[in-house]
Amino acid sequence: MNKTGSLSNLRILDFTGELGPYAAKLYAGLGADVIHIEPITGDPLRSIGPFYKNQPGNERSLQFIYYNVGKRGMVLDLGKEKAREIFIKMCKNADILFDSFAPGYLDGLGLSYEHLSAVNPKLVQTSITPFGHFGPYSKYPGSDLTCSALGGFLYLAGIENDKPVRISDNQAYRMAEVYAAVGSSVAALFAQRTGVGQYVDVSCMESVAMALETAAQCWDLEGKLRRGRGKEAGTATIHPCKDGFVVIAAIMGKNKSMWVSFLEWMKAEGVDEWELFDNDDWVEPNYRESKKAYELFCNIFERFTMKHTKQYLYNAGQSHKVAISPIANGKDLLENSQLIYQNFWKELYHEPVKGSIVCPGSPYKFGSLKWRLGNNAPIFGQHTAAVLVECGYSHEEINALDKEGVVYVAKP
Amino acid sequence: MLQNLRKALDGIVVCDFSWVGAGPIATNVLGQCGADIIKIESNSRPDILRRGEPFKDGIGEGLERSGYFANRNPNKKGIALDMNHPKARDVALRLIKKSDIIINNFRVGQMEKWNLGWEDLKEINPRIIYVTMSLQGDKGPHADYMGFGVNLNALCGLTARAAFPGERPFGTGTNYTDHVMAPSHALFGIMAALLEREKTGKGQTVDVSQLKSAISMVPSSILAYGANNEELGPVGFSDPDAAPHGVYAALGYRKWIAIAVFGENEWYALNKVMGNPEWAMHQKFSSLQSRKENEEELNEHIEGWTKKQHADWLMDELIQNGVKAGVVNDARGAIEDEHLRKRGFWSYLDHPVMGSTLYNRAPIHFSKTPLKMETAAPLLGQHTSSVLTELLDYTEEEVNQLMEENVLI
Repeated sequence: MNKTGSLSNLRILDFTGELGPYAAKLYAGLGADVIHIEPITGDPLRSIGPFYKNQPGNERSLQFIYYNVGKRGMVLDLGKEKAREIFIKMCKNADILFDSFAPGYLDGLGLSYEHLSAVNPKLVQTSITPFGHFGPYSKYPGSDLTCSALGGFLYLAGIENDKPVRISDNQAYRMAEVYAAVGSSVAALFAQRTGVGQYVDVSCMESVAMALETAAQCWDLEGKLRRGRGKEAGTATIHPCKDGFVVIAAIMGKNKSMWVSFLEWMKAEGVDEWELFDNDDWVEPNYRESKKAYELFCNIFERFTMKHTKQYLYNAGQSHKVAISPIANGKDLLENSQLIYQNFWKELYHEPVKGSIVCPGSPYKFGSLKWRLGNNAPIFGQHTAAVLVECGYSHEEINALDKEGVVYVAKP
Repeated sequence: MLQNLRKALDGIVVCDFSWVGAGPIATNVLGQCGADIIKIESNSRPDILRRGEPFKDGIGEGLERSGYFANRNPNKKGIALDMNHPKARDVALRLIKKSDIIINNFRVGQMEKWNLGWEDLKEINPRIIYVTMSLQGDKGPHADYMGFGVNLNALCGLTARAAFPGERPFGTGTNYTDHVMAPSHALFGIMAALLEREKTGKGQTVDVSQLKSAISMVPSSILAYGANNEELGPVGFSDPDAAPHGVYAALGYRKWIAIAVFGENEWYALNKVMGNPEWAMHQKFSSLQSRKENEEELNEHIEGWTKKQHADWLMDELIQNGVKAGVVNDARGAIEDEHLRKRGFWSYLDHPVMGSTLYNRAPIHFSKTPLKMETAAPLLGQHTSSVLTELLDYTEEEVNQLMEENVLI
């Protein structure tokens, strides 16, 4: 297969679970042949909610379905010698292998990168782990929360003496996954040009430390330890409204023209005491950071916002060139008219639940490459037999491997 | 050349008209991988981040003291070119002819005005990859809507759940989408186009939607609403599959420790480190389900124990016993962290104005083509002469002439 408009000439092995799946999903979205390999105990993500109709089940995890749609699925028990032989055969024809095993696990099974690259010198192996494969913490157990904490990212999600809040969807994992996708694509291009594959080590802790905005430089250049934005009046502050919350950037830094737009809006709406905003003090960040300014801003602005919906405030503010946005929940997202206009949401029929799941569509648009959601999230062992046939195994051998528990083949 | 001196993207040239956050972060990573990044600014249109805090020693004068700018732009060559000058287009064109990638975040239509839109450039350089990054796309009812990272955080659904129950949502405290979703999807899109070019010999357009790439990494709200017609609640610092799971006070000013206990074995290990206190033996903490049901009380007990201890010592002890734990590092803690330093994550690079100052590399460690962290962020126009003479084949006389005519300013 060497079609243009698609990465179908790339074969990707995705031996990841709760940590890792978005990396290979990016390739699957552009048409690469991605095989998601699961252990015989199943990908742990299968047991993570939310579930379709809130009923737990191996084929009902919405996140498993979203992160693995467009991939093929096979099941392999690496603890068994014959499974390791199969794995090596699969690596022989692969361009990229993603794994998220604890450092040392594959080496202990005789499947180190040195071993795999002896079979396939062009192979790129990208490991995604909490702390990476070298360094003092490399053997530490880690989670999304603890990696976010250690990398300095979590600290920013709060102000003053408040404890930081956590964001959803395991962002420490997601950040590592996108950089794993990027790193492996850089290495794959190099391998195509030179015939030389390599090992790529991506850690969650470093990935979150990439997202500190200005915090590291605040310390290095000014000796200051910053926390999150949130109490500088009108500068990325969040305010309640009739049916939820809005965020507003009425001004950034000393950008007076932004403030003038905001003022025009307040005046046009006839907001009580809008005149108090008509004062150059508000253009000074020092003033806006004061308790007095923040409280005054909230007092005037929120008496107005509480009368209106987030959607009204979004449209009305934006029509005055004010950077205000709704704090969107699931419903707001699915009803977002811009995303509907662009036909962003995709429906995926998932056979095991006999129902449809709404998934995000393409994050980008290319001149030639075509994005696809894929029409199937693999059920457990769905493509085991097909992949083994491609590796040269006969149906009799596959049946025997299934019976011995070396692989698991889904039964129709 | 010795293999271990090669860079993965040696020979790739990037014509970089991007500024502020997402674009420069993307080209920063390409530069670290060995691509030659030519960053184009002018005194009439400097990258506005040059005026963004923090500043070396807190002095915000001029355009060469911003750490916000610097950390997004190491290893790049900076040229000054006033695109409003009629002679500027020819200079840009010579660069574009040598480039593999061109990236900009001008207003829609600006490049076309200069006859540098995709339709023009694909004739001039059919191999070029033409990258644009829009907030919400260039068509549709909200195409003109404004926003910063904090606006996109809100629109993509991330802010709503980053809240403690009963309180206002907070979010990440940063322009998160600018630093993570937009640059990473731009990078993957660029690399996919380069891989495609290996087969076809042709470039193409890559148009990254900042909002859509953000949603793609925070899908659970819409997955749950779409399938179950229900909203997922605020996260606080919890996790549905773990308890205790949270951020707990430790000794000192703004010191906390994060602890995440997933299975029963981890719960037993935590109990052991706590000295098997009597409260922990109670029925109401005996399973994940019961600990979730009594989570508030559980967290009070845990904090009663952590708050009398040093976070770093406690982390060591918990880790040694197999419990996932981490100090909530502030920036200084992360900069001084033993693991990040041993992995070579931070670099100090010499800058003509700022001196030896801190940068971080991309979170990718290649075994054979290591990332480079060689030069600090460029001064505005620092490499104008060298790029024009060495890369674009201008003579020194021609460069001087263009300087006198205020093209290179």
